[in-house]
Amino acid sequence: MFKKVLIANRGEIAVRIIKACQEMGIRTVAVYSEVDKNAPHVQIADESINLGDPTPSESYLNIAKIIENATKVHAEAIHPGYGFLAENPDFAKACTDTGITFIGPTPEVIRLMGDKIEAKKTIAHADVPVIPGYHGVKQDLSTLLKEGKKIGFPLLVKATAGGGGKGMRIVHAESELEQAIESAKREAKSAFGNDSVFLEQYVDKPRHIEFQILADQHGHVIHLFERECSIQRRHQKIIEETPSPMMTLPLREIMGKAAVAAATAVGYTNAGTIEFMVDGNQNFYFMEMNTRLQVEHPITEATTGIDLVKWQLRIASGMELPIQQKDLIQRGHALECRIYAEDPSNGFLPSIGTLEKVDLPNGPNIRNDTGVETHFHVSPYYDPMLAKLTVNTENRVESINKMIWALSHYVVLGVTTNISFLKKVLDHPEFRKGNITTHFINDYFHDWLVTKEGLPLDALIALAVYDSLHTQRQEVVRYKEADPHSPWQHMGRWRMGV
Amino acid sequence: MFINYEHNNHVYNVTVERRENQFFITYDNNEYTVIATEQKPGQLFIQLGDRVIKSVISQGDEDKFVFIDGSIYKVKRIELTGRKKTEKREGDLHSPISGTVVSCKVKEGSPVKKDDVILIIEAMKMENEIFCQNAGIIRSVYVKAGQAVENDQVLIEIDPEMP
Repeated sequence: MFKKVLIANRGEIAVRIIKACQEMGIRTVAVYSEVDKNAPHVQIADESINLGDPTPSESYLNIAKIIENATKVHAEAIHPGYGFLAENPDFAKACTDTGITFIGPTPEVIRLMGDKIEAKKTIAHADVPVIPGYHGVKQDLSTLLKEGKKIGFPLLVKATAGGGGKGMRIVHAESELEQAIESAKREAKSAFGNDSVFLEQYVDKPRHIEFQILADQHGHVIHLFERECSIQRRHQKIIEETPSPMMTLPLREIMGKAAVAAATAVGYTNAGTIEFMVDGNQNFYFMEMNTRLQVEHPITEATTGIDLVKWQLRIASGMELPIQQKDLIQRGHALECRIYAEDPSNGFLPSIGTLEKVDLPNGPNIRNDTGVETHFHVSPYYDPMLAKLTVNTENRVESINKMIWALSHYVVLGVTTNISFLKKVLDHPEFRKGNITTHFINDYFHDWLVTKEGLPLDALIALAVYDSLHTQRQEVVRYKEADPHSPWQHMGRWRMGV
Repeated sequence: MFINYEHNNHVYNVTVERRENQFFITYDNNEYTVIATEQKPGQLFIQLGDRVIKSVISQGDEDKFVFIDGSIYKVKRIELTGRKKTEKREGDLHSPISGTVVSCKVKEGSPVKKDDVILIIEAMKMENEIFCQNAGIIRSVYVKAGQAVENDQVLIEIDPEMP
């Protein structure tokens, strides 16, 4: 096993990985940019390295800087987390070339799966269903328009190098196609440095269901069941659960086999995720493979008892995976909510500011993954996700109720968050029934986006009490003056209880 | 004492008197008598009749944040001194976010409808479509592609359509 691992990430995922390493007796090295110098991931790491300029390209995305520092501190391996360099084949290759173990699959597999077109072709050869579309290399506008018309509408324009909803557009009519292609190309260019897009048929009543994979370096591949990630806004997941309310035993069996076949076909190693789209008739299509740890991995951990980060480390160090598919069981139900600094009533625009107070809910089977704390400044440089809240219980109803309780006790003051929005989604009758698709937010919460709720009476009462309590200092002064020998007279300018 | 709170461009006038841990609050011609304690800094336990209000309040540089039952409200305490505030003109488009303008879809004199995409602003690596709030005619455009904009900056002036 490694003695020292560098974590090339920030926020909650860096904290998560550092803790796993420390439990395993591995020394940890955090990296940080100037604005993160007091961040929780830096505080808990055994060592830390300042990467300087907060611009991602100068810090968390700077391959040369990270590799140079990893060599300097003699880190044997690098864990990339998710986002940033996690799915960058050049980074994985640079690690390997320097004699550092990259905790993830090989650079070749990352490159193959990162090219969404090549990925689909390869996976289709393994007899895993893929969705109809245009995945050609010809990227001129007239070809794309022609191919788009051939597929029919609605269709999806998606960046080849994409992820996280960036460079992705839904087109409902031919008249919108040209603008959508141009806009998606522009966004893809700025986010990934590659403006190539593909087009595919848009599936009706689609659910996003993915399978967690673990594969060791000795050819043993298992899946750790599904995660239902249909609740998305702007094509990014906000609520995930397992098991999926639509899953049946036979379908799980078939999809699980397909996921393992897909991973085996590309010679996958380490933790990965096969994303499928499932339509209203339980047809499923391979969408893409995420060659890294997923944000929503805690729900799988909660229901299988498997620590995915620890297995990532063990697999990367060459250990054989002793778990057999037949030994795995899923217990109960787990639900995760992503806590974002964003305004759901204003188009989910990110919110920037200093966190004046952070007080997280605690209780049985409530897990907090967080990379922020009181006084932390949410800057415009990085993703606005602040934390993840995961609960696990005996069944879906219990999980929803526990999550609503936990969210009602989740205090993050200083920026606008999506917490009350999450509660509304969880409490929606159709969500409770499990009738969800990737259009859920748009279908049921479109109006909510523009609703601005007024200040309730209880808030006004609390404010009045607060301000009344905090503007009564004259009285204290009077007591002080009454007794010139009081020890309080010699206290200077200290104030008590503030 | 009289206090004015502003939330979402709406002003709430409240008066509060305190006797020990009892508070007499008037709002909208109703009086509420509550018993309250501050359990931890900013954490209030308030009894209103047989009802309990639990709230956490934080004081930022300008704004207060009020947490009640999972909802958070951003509130500003304001002084109404008779000095007229510069009013936001209806229809003008203020930037809802700090970022960089990717493209501007309108020019001066063009007619716009509610929910038209007027601008695209990139922030946090995402392109955000900025929608028109009211129908009207574009009077002036203050930004161009590539320009960095601040939160609440006036980007575009719109002459609202007369009903």
